[in-house]
Formats: sequence, C-alpha cells, structure tokens
Amino acid sequence: MAAWMKIYKKEMKDAIRDRRSVMAALSYSIGTPLIMCLLFVAMIDKFSSPSALYISVENARQAPELMRHLASRDIFPDSDVPEGEVVKAVSLHIDENYLYAMQHGELAKLTITADFSNDNLRSSIRRLQRELRSFSREVAALRLLTRGVSPEVIRVLDVQAKDTAKPEAKGGFIVGVAIFMMIYAVFISGMNLAIDTSAGERERNSLALMLSLPIRIRDLVLGKLFAVSSFALFGLCMILLVSKIAYSFVPWQDLGANVVIDTRFALYMLLFSFPLGLLAASMQLFVSFMAKTFKEAQSYLTIVLIVPMGMAMVTGYDIGPDVLRWLPVSGQQKALMEVVKGNALPWDSLLIATAITLLLTGVLVAALMKLLSSEKTVFSL
Amino acid sequence: MIEVQGLTKKIADVQALDDLSFRADDGKITGLLGPNGAGKTTCLRTLFNLLCADKGWAKVDGIDVSQHPLAAKQTLGLFPDPFGLYERLTPREYIQYFAELNGLKKNAAQQACDEVLARLQMQDIADRRCKGFSQGQRMKTALAQAIVHKPKNIVLDEPTRGLDVMSTRTLRDLLLSLKADGHCILFSSHVMQEVSALCDEVVVMASGRAIAQGSPQALCERTGQDSLEEAFIALIGSDEGIAA
Repeated sequence: MAAWMKIYKKEMKDAIRDRRSVMAALSYSIGTPLIMCLLFVAMIDKFSSPSALYISVENARQAPELMRHLASRDIFPDSDVPEGEVVKAVSLHIDENYLYAMQHGELAKLTITADFSNDNLRSSIRRLQRELRSFSREVAALRLLTRGVSPEVIRVLDVQAKDTAKPEAKGGFIVGVAIFMMIYAVFISGMNLAIDTSAGERERNSLALMLSLPIRIRDLVLGKLFAVSSFALFGLCMILLVSKIAYSFVPWQDLGANVVIDTRFALYMLLFSFPLGLLAASMQLFVSFMAKTFKEAQSYLTIVLIVPMGMAMVTGYDIGPDVLRWLPVSGQQKALMEVVKGNALPWDSLLIATAITLLLTGVLVAALMKLLSSEKTVFSL
Repeated sequence: MIEVQGLTKKIADVQALDDLSFRADDGKITGLLGPNGAGKTTCLRTLFNLLCADKGWAKVDGIDVSQHPLAAKQTLGLFPDPFGLYERLTPREYIQYFAELNGLKKNAAQQACDEVLARLQMQDIADRRCKGFSQGQRMKTALAQAIVHKPKNIVLDEPTRGLDVMSTRTLRDLLLSLKADGHCILFSSHVMQEVSALCDEVVVMASGRAIAQGSPQALCERTGQDSLEEAFIALIGSDEGIAA
C-alpha cells in the first residue's frame, strides 16, 4: 500500500473519532437546508401573498369612491382595522378641496406621508401608489368618455409581454443562494479536520515525528489532502440528502422559483464540486500549516472563507464581471444554476473553471510541500 | 553507527551547532550530555534531516542523511520529546501505523506490533485510546513506536523527562536490552544520574560544540575528578542547566 494511502486511512480513522470534526461536517449539512427552508417560507409570506393593508387616511369622507376602489384592492383606512392587525406607518392625506376638484374635473391633490427609506414600508408604499395610479387612470378614462373622446386616444403603445422562461428558470437569486449553500458545504465540512491535521499536528508535537519517518513529504500532503477532501465531499452528500427532503416542503410555485434535487442534479453537483473539494482542502491545509495553534488557524480560515462566499454572492446577484463564470466556485455555481433552470450546460466556461480549480489546487499542494520542507515552518524558527 | 563531523548550524543569531563532531558505535549507549541550550536537540534534528546543517555532515550506517534522507531514516528510530501521540488512536493502532510507515508490510507490522507490546508489557493498555494515559504509559507507547521496526540506530531526545522511578527503570532496562542486541543508541540528556548509569560513551556538549568524548570513567580520569558530575563541571566550567 502506498504511504499516502496509509496516512489517508489513519487520518480518516482519527477524524471519525473526533467528535468536533464530525459535528462540524454534520451541523452545517443538516442545519443549513432547514434554515433555508424556514427562510424561503418566510419570504413567501412576505412577498407572494399580499395581505390586507391598513393605513392612516385623513379626510376619507372627501373621497368615498377612492376609498371603495382601495377597499376593493384590500387597502383600508385605520378606522376599519380589526383587532390583531397592524396599521402601517403610511399616511394618505386627501386634500380639503378633493371632492370639489373631482366634481369639476380639476386636479385633485393627494399626499402620501411615510419614511420612504424604511425597507419594511417600501412594498406597502409601492402598492398604494400603484392603486392610486390605477384609480386615476379609471377616472381619466371616464372624464374623456363624458367629453365624447375615446380613452384609447391617450393609449399610444400596446405593450404585451410573453414570458418564455420555464417555470424552473424563475427566481434566479433564490436558486443561486440555494446552490451556493450546498457548494459551501465543501468549504465548511472539512475545515475542522484540515486544522486538526495541520496546526493540530504541530500543537500535538507529532509533525516533527511524522517528518522524521522515511516517507516523502508528497505522501504526507496527499494523505492529508484526500482525507480533508473526503470529509468535504461527505458534507456535500449529506447536504444534498437533507436538502432533497427539506426542499420538498417549500411551496416553490409561490416563490416563482424551483429547486428540484433529483438524481441528475445530485450527480452534476458531486461531479462539479469534486475539484472544489480538493481546492478547499489544499487551501485550508496551506493556511492552517502556517498557523502555530489550532485557534490561530481557525482565525485565519474564518477570514479566508470570505473569498468563496463573496464570489458566490456576486454570482447569485449577477452583479459580477463576466470573468466569474471561468473562476472556481462561481463557475461551478453558474453551471449548476443552469442545470436547475433546465438550460443547456455552459461546458466551455465550466471546463475552464474546473481547469483553473485544479491548477490552483496543484499550486497549493506544491506550496504545501515546500512549506513542510522548510525548517522555519516546521519548527517555527 | 552514527557519525557526525564538523556539523555547524546557525539559527537566527544563535550558533546552535559549532563544528560538532562525535561518533556513536553499534552495541553501545552514547549520551549527549549538555546544559539546556547546548545544541543537543538541534543535533538530533539534523540527524533526521529535519534541520539542514550549514556545514559538515552526519552519517547513519555510512549513509549521508542530507544526501539520502529516506535511506538514512529507514535505519533510524526516534523517541521524541514531547512524545507526539495521537490521542484518539490506541497504542496498537499507533504503533502499527508507524511500523507500516517505516516500511513494514501489513502482516509484518501486525506481528512486530504484537512483539513490541509484549516486550514492553503493554498488553493491558494496547486497545485503549491514548487519551488519559499516564506519563509512563505515554512513554511506553512512544518507545514502542521508535523500536517497532527494529531500527539499527535508536535516537532518544530527553527520554526520562517527567518520568517516575518505575517508568525510568523500565526505560533503562529496555535500552540495556537493545544495547545487548547490538543496536546503536544515542540519547540526549541533561540528567547526570541517567547518563552515568547507562552510557558507555559520553559526548559532553556546550555552546554547540563537543567539549569531550569518552567513557564516564575516562572523563573522570581526564579531569582528575571522582564523579561524572564533577568531571562535567570541570569540562564546561559551569553547572548551570544540569540536573543531578
């Protein structure tokens, strides 16, 4: 048996017995899909089913027709608020001369007062503005009719939108977030083992003993690399399994998105994420070997892990430059988003992203071997 | 046989080894005796090519460690200080792991592991995880790891540090038995009693240099002293960092 294989087997045995490493791999993989489920359900409640909106209205008596129109769109004055419902901090002031202006075909003045920077009020304000515009258009059409003019006169364009997107392709950001949370399992699941087998090895004083054995540094690095990668991919398998069960409870149709984890998606996810597992392991080992203690390595890695998260966020929001589709993490994430949307796979960019991922892994492995050949690193001289 | 010639090593601004030369023969126990900071551990690390000498060479059974590190390491066994145990493994798993990494096939490693566990009377703790072991049990596990593959040369770094009387006696008995089997044993220590009780040859080190080499008796005669401790003080000119 090759030396790296012996080291790999020992590292796996040691890691499986380390409750901290196993918990790190499992807690993210099991916890994240459940949290995401709750998040998606909360989003549906917030965005997709508009409930009755209660606002403050001044001089409501001046505008009975407007009040009827708003009530037909589930917008009510605060005087009608039932117990348990909340009145939004949005006020509609109807001018004293509103009734007169309406009766004489003049411009009637309405004022919306609210904190427009408040995120919680934004959708309510938009909804009120939309319904007021709709009422305004209806009255304008009636005024034209009474003057013998067809309301069609003021309609110049007849714009119709035909959405060709498949149902699965909608909600790009939600799909992006869901996929990234799965890919990120590769970075989180093996992290504890990476620290334990590098900075932990140094802290236990077993690193110098290992290096005094008649084995090549390459074997030592590969054994550890494959062990950390195995843990990373184990975490990925677990999150796929838990997500498949948990996401089946999300009413995706209400969110306008759909994340179906079928065998095809799972296979693509494992295939595309395998190089990422190697990259994550080599990066974490390299950073951890530079640290002298377990805690120091944890601090370094917390900072380093911001990089893949940032790349994924930029990809999810689709605000990054085009080059992201060729880079590790974002390249794989984009390809998997296409899989979920049922579109053709961008093989060219995916292959380039995979090649760059493997190239970076190779560079990090070479740097790791150099690091462990350095007496300054091994003995912290 | 371990041979060191003109070994020189500077670490940062400290001259850790300064033209160090000595020889440790097969069938003998050779002690590197010196105060703290004399360069004993640096010398042992150089033997395993963990540190690269600026000048000079170290040979194990005639193999230059810097030229052929893997071949040289195959003839060496290391008892490190600290022990560097894997606490989640049992002694059997730990010893067998090192036996296999030292080149033994799986079956041979299993057999060698059983033999060394019996030799060190470790059967009762062989299948318990190392976590929570006493210092004596940890010492035995580390020692078993160093000799499981039956290396011709065994290097021990401060082997009795922190051991109680019984553990020290177990260690001494094993070293004497290994010596009788013809192994070359080199150990570093700053404990006078241990060196005078065990060593056939003593290399007295100070400031990275070998001040003198010879049997404890020869060193006493050379300095005109009655005990190795007095001879040592006479040689290095101070008793700082030395334990009786």
